[in-house]
Amino acid sequence: MRDLAVAAAAMAVFTVAHAQDKPAAAPPPSWHQGKPPALGESTLHPFAPNLAGRSAKDLPTDKLKVPPGFKVEVWAEGIPEARSLARGEKGTVFVSNRLSKNVYAVVDRGGTREVKTILKGLNSPNGIAFSRGTLFVAERDKITRYDGIEGRLDNPGQGKVVVEGLDPTQQPGHYWKYLAMGPDGKLYFNIGAPGNIVMPNYTQASIMRVDPGKGVLENVALGVRNSVGFDWNPRTKELWFTNHGRDWLGDDSPNDTLHRVTSKGVHFGYPFCHQGDTLDPDYGKNRSCSEFAPPALKLGAHIAPLGMKFYTGKMFPAEYRNNIFIAMHGSWNRSTKQGYNVTRVVVNDKGKVIRSVPFLTGFLQDERGDPPMWGRPVDVLVMRDGALLVSDDYNGVIYRVSYGK
Amino acid sequence: MTAASATRRGAAIAFAALALGAASVAAADRDAGRRKAEVCAACHGPAGNSVNPAVPSIAGQPAQFVATELFLFREGNRKDPQMSAIAAGLSNGDLNDLAEYFAAERPAPPKHRTAPENAAAAPALAHKFNCVQCHGPELMGQQHIPRLAGQQPDYLLAQLKGFKAGTRADIDGNMTSAAQALSDQDIQVLVDYLAGLSSGN
Repeated sequence: MRDLAVAAAAMAVFTVAHAQDKPAAAPPPSWHQGKPPALGESTLHPFAPNLAGRSAKDLPTDKLKVPPGFKVEVWAEGIPEARSLARGEKGTVFVSNRLSKNVYAVVDRGGTREVKTILKGLNSPNGIAFSRGTLFVAERDKITRYDGIEGRLDNPGQGKVVVEGLDPTQQPGHYWKYLAMGPDGKLYFNIGAPGNIVMPNYTQASIMRVDPGKGVLENVALGVRNSVGFDWNPRTKELWFTNHGRDWLGDDSPNDTLHRVTSKGVHFGYPFCHQGDTLDPDYGKNRSCSEFAPPALKLGAHIAPLGMKFYTGKMFPAEYRNNIFIAMHGSWNRSTKQGYNVTRVVVNDKGKVIRSVPFLTGFLQDERGDPPMWGRPVDVLVMRDGALLVSDDYNGVIYRVSYGK
Repeated sequence: MTAASATRRGAAIAFAALALGAASVAAADRDAGRRKAEVCAACHGPAGNSVNPAVPSIAGQPAQFVATELFLFREGNRKDPQMSAIAAGLSNGDLNDLAEYFAAERPAPPKHRTAPENAAAAPALAHKFNCVQCHGPELMGQQHIPRLAGQQPDYLLAQLKGFKAGTRADIDGNMTSAAQALSDQDIQVLVDYLAGLSSGN
């Protein structure tokens, strides 16, 4: 994390240099940035994962609830800070992390699972995607490919850089990336805003894509504060993504959001307009929300939607087909907590949201507690048999939701 | 070897007998932690109550904090000649066992005596520089954030200087950021105050 520390230090020095005429006060951490004086005494804070993981035996997994006919169980554990999930062609499940440096592979051996550390020493390797034998890994500054990975889990080699220079300012906030392979053969990833509510530069607060054969970047979506989950609607081929709204505007504002990208380069509002209809108290002056694309769905304030997948499996009942599952990692910036679940969003043939309903719940123990939850969903993955895997970075555990039998 | 250390070493054999077919990790075990902690006492003192001003007390620290720091030493994020070597051989299960053990021990009353002028000045500094925001109103720590009350002074001094210099590992950048605003005088006052502060004993 030295790079992160250096980045934070650089940011802090910058802040101090611009505040010389004022009494020295502590520069805010990036999550603290944008906190108004009226909330100065607020003790709300983000939650850190148990980096060494926790045993499922120490967890109240009996509290987990799924709809009738479904079953939830612990699928694998001992995967520190399990974040993004990707599935190989031969059944390997790849698992990333954000605060640490490794990529893991979970190999199923006839009902028992082996956890291997396959990559070490990476720089916040939150984003992973698998396509045609290759594992792509997005670190904070670059994307690297590891070809033929499933045949060389014990010796994946150094990998080949697809594109680098993705963190030129060593930004302090939202430096981690989500990564997914699009139906067009291009890799899609986010570059988050460098703080809670700040003016981004030309590459920040965006979703971009890169052709792995060419290494040339293109803008896909702008004004996206931080997206840590996206997928393509299997019927319309449109890109959908989740987005985190800003903090410190109160318990119920703004909503975190679900979006669809109807054309390349659309602007979704950050930092001027939030949730499609709420101008920012500072950056929204002299602007109008009407110039920005509204969300497909408001998900709840500070609920922190992360990984999302359209359900393309055959195991769940037919009405689940092409629904979206979203992992809700929060909330923390809210005095009464909500979320900490996997939510199901029903979408019709034309790509219109019909309704949303919590699907996997029970992680939230005490909505006024600190911490309020015992586990935090991060990403979802549809397995070949149609079961849904859910990662939990707070405990280093992966759960499996299945139906029937 | 615990099941957890087996996991770390990639040994599939430890998983074979488990219900649901899930890879399983041993539950955190305080008694196992007590046995594993015997080596720690040489520097960290009996039950983690250090008597060396340069070595931190870990008795009564939040379990998540102890496990997190051991993890950072093991993974090479945080470096120390002794701790890096010791942590290198520990499994995730070991980290959690040690964390459970130390978290349940009682912190000894601090030997340090704070100068009266620093005792008067420091609470305002602890507020101004956001110490209480994360470490709590009594500076007792929470979750992954350590107890500062009653901590050894030379250790506190070295950490704050390290954070200010950007050389001390920091999982989220918060301490590096917070330390930038501290003058050397602020650091001296805060250290003198924290080291003499009651840790609830």
